[in-house]
Amino acid sequence: MLMMKRRAGESILIGDDIEIHLAHIGRTRVKIGIQAPRNVPVVAKEVKLVRDRNLAAAELRLEGALAKLAARVSSPRLQGNGPPADERQ
Amino acid sequence: MAKCETKYWGQLDYSQDAVIDFPAGIPGFEQERRFVLIEQRELDPLVFLQSLATPTLCFLSLHVRVVCRDYKLSISDEYLETLGLQRTSQPSIGPKLACLALLHIDENEVTTNLLAPIVIHIPARRGAQAIQTGSDYSLQHRIDLVEAAVCA
Repeated sequence: MLMMKRRAGESILIGDDIEIHLAHIGRTRVKIGIQAPRNVPVVAKEVKLVRDRNLAAAELRLEGALAKLAARVSSPRLQGNGPPADERQ
Repeated sequence: MAKCETKYWGQLDYSQDAVIDFPAGIPGFEQERRFVLIEQRELDPLVFLQSLATPTLCFLSLHVRVVCRDYKLSISDEYLETLGLQRTSQPSIGPKLACLALLHIDENEVTTNLLAPIVIHIPARRGAQAIQTGSDYSLQHRIDLVEAAVCA
């Protein structure tokens, strides 16, 4: 991975079309401006990971196996630790 | 009572006040804005998140505290606003705030997504999949299965 040192207010160019601007550097976070063509998706990495996970989870086909799964995930040592009754509907 | 088609149970009745609004959808399903939670006694502790728009879309989940007893939320202001919660402090999981971990099965292992729980502000009937900030929670937290534990 290429590492570069930059200060607040400076930018990085990726190819001809993409500019990464370091707008602000805080104590624990940096604010970054990104200019990129519309067809280039820009997304926080964790959002992409969560999306992929959701897409995979949506594909689960369990029709006949639901009861078995429910029985297997209800660990006795965690029983009684569920949410209050009024949280359920 | 309105009726909806569900992935696992055919047609079910639901009341309008059971509908949870996800103003931003969830990642990968940004257009899915309305879900209902389905819990069935014989399938406890599973909680199902059924889309009203797409009958075939139904996520399985577990309350996070079933998976992780001392689970703590740390979510950004953006999500708090979506949920209709005050920005002043982190909300706590309880009667007014449900927190569900989506469940997935990979090669016989059951995992739950603790990094990005489905958070539901019950009084406001609003939900969001809130990606935790600055936490070490896993996207694929493996849960011990009862039989597996016995066999091990």
